[in-house]
Amino acid sequence: MVSGSPALRHNALVYDSEDEYVGRAVPFLREGLEAGSGAVVAATRPGLAVLREALGGDAGAVTFVDVGAAYTRPARTLAAYHSVYADELGRHRSVRAVADVQFGPDPREWDLWTGYEAVFNRSFAHLPAWVLCTYAGAHLPDPVREGVWRTHPEVVSAGGWRCSDRFDDPDRVLRDVTAVPPALPALRSVPSDGGVEGVREHLARELADERVPAAAALDLLLAVTEVAANAVEHGGGIARVRAGRVDGRFVCEVVDHGTGFDDPGAGYLAPRAGVGTGLWIARQLTWQLDLFRAPEGFTVRLRL
Amino acid sequence: MSPGARLTPSQERDLVVATEGGDPEACHRLVEAFLPEISALARRFGYGSAVGRAELVQEGVAGLLFAARRYDTSLGTPFWGYASFWVRKSMQELVAELTGPVALSDRAVRALAAVRAARRDHLQAHGADPTTDELARATGLSRAQVEDLQATERVPRSLQEPAAGDGRSADTVGDGLPDPAAEQAYDVVLDAIEMRRVRDLTEQLSDRERAVIRAHFGLDEPAQTLTRIGGSLGVTAERVRQIEAGALAKLRAALARPAVLPGGGA
Repeated sequence: MVSGSPALRHNALVYDSEDEYVGRAVPFLREGLEAGSGAVVAATRPGLAVLREALGGDAGAVTFVDVGAAYTRPARTLAAYHSVYADELGRHRSVRAVADVQFGPDPREWDLWTGYEAVFNRSFAHLPAWVLCTYAGAHLPDPVREGVWRTHPEVVSAGGWRCSDRFDDPDRVLRDVTAVPPALPALRSVPSDGGVEGVREHLARELADERVPAAAALDLLLAVTEVAANAVEHGGGIARVRAGRVDGRFVCEVVDHGTGFDDPGAGYLAPRAGVGTGLWIARQLTWQLDLFRAPEGFTVRLRL
Repeated sequence: MSPGARLTPSQERDLVVATEGGDPEACHRLVEAFLPEISALARRFGYGSAVGRAELVQEGVAGLLFAARRYDTSLGTPFWGYASFWVRKSMQELVAELTGPVALSDRAVRALAAVRAARRDHLQAHGADPTTDELARATGLSRAQVEDLQATERVPRSLQEPAAGDGRSADTVGDGLPDPAAEQAYDVVLDAIEMRRVRDLTEQLSDRERAVIRAHFGLDEPAQTLTRIGGSLGVTAERVRQIEAGALAKLRAALARPAVLPGGGA
């Protein structure tokens, strides 16, 4: 690829040794630097130390990002990376990044992060960025390894660069790994009169009654503002609002009168011309956002 | 004593959720509840390691708070069962960071030797330790490289090395005893994490905007009507509504700023 290419290139490096990690990552970054690209290393601190040392005098031109605490929820991780890439693209015509991904030990989380890798292809599709996601192959569980090949169009490993014959449509991967939201009959009705401002006021009282911390309460109020505004503008108006605690978290549902839409990437697409930002904001501010058609209408469920 | 003996499952879950939501009191209580487990891991880790126990506890607390931000309560896993991986990983990474480069490459060993020689020369010539910048100039390394190499030389002793031959394992020595240095370390980490919280969005607002949002939405105070807020600010209710709308728009813009692409597109 020529640096400065207009669209995202999202690849994976599956390495068997630290030498291989360094041997692939450093020339990749140096080639970009020589062509005028920005360069980012996103890793935990040992990874940063290894690459900083290996880059030697070139390290000064590279942005090092500690991702030790970045992989909390996919939407928040995407927003954090977007901020880093936006910053680089303010100074360079393109950017190359080596990024460590933190799947964690719990198999029940792996689908979530495979979904993140899938939607990454859509989220940053408009950015002139070449991102090399790095995976230590020695202890990579089979489902995660399979996910790497399903979500990266090209994968580099001991055998060299290869187009992935298992790369799958990001939306299909997202659908496969997203569970159907369960019904939550315990939620109670909240008045939905007064439009967006009315819903916000009613929910503010519910949040105060539930003793939700102020910062989190504001997050939810901002998120629900976006969802309620969408319901008014695109969904024929707000039909009903419900709220309550589920598994210790404050949950709120907004149901509208419209037919809804079916886009598993909704809210994951980084801001750009022609793409609405309401659901991007709502996803960043909540633990989970589910959008689904229910018997009572198109529903957006916000879980704080 | 297990964490479960100190907290019921629902107490534990509520503490984790409140911590993730930015409640500082919950954050402190959560760390206090799991500090014995973190300290025990640090003792096991610190044995034979070049890294001090207080630093390990500090990293462990950061790992615990990261786990709280990632923990899915709906999965039903006990929190420590989930968090212990991240606590251990944080400690492993600290050890790797501080000791890694020496073990990793001959080049780093040579660079470290050059730093030591430059320090010795400087000491002999000036009778005082050199600064990082002076070491960087003397060795031709970058300041960051010198700092990394210096970090590998930090060899603080752990607070409690097990006495050889006393018949007790490293896991049991000192269990349950107060650990003032580790306690202090955990305060430092908590303060740092609270300071860098990015989700306190109201920091981006003016004092008046913040007052309106807090009063109308009842954030840390009883909710008030627009009319009442207007009365206390000396403006009309409609003006208060406008201030609130402006504040929300400002927060919205901060959360959805597009990248400015080469050529001026977004």
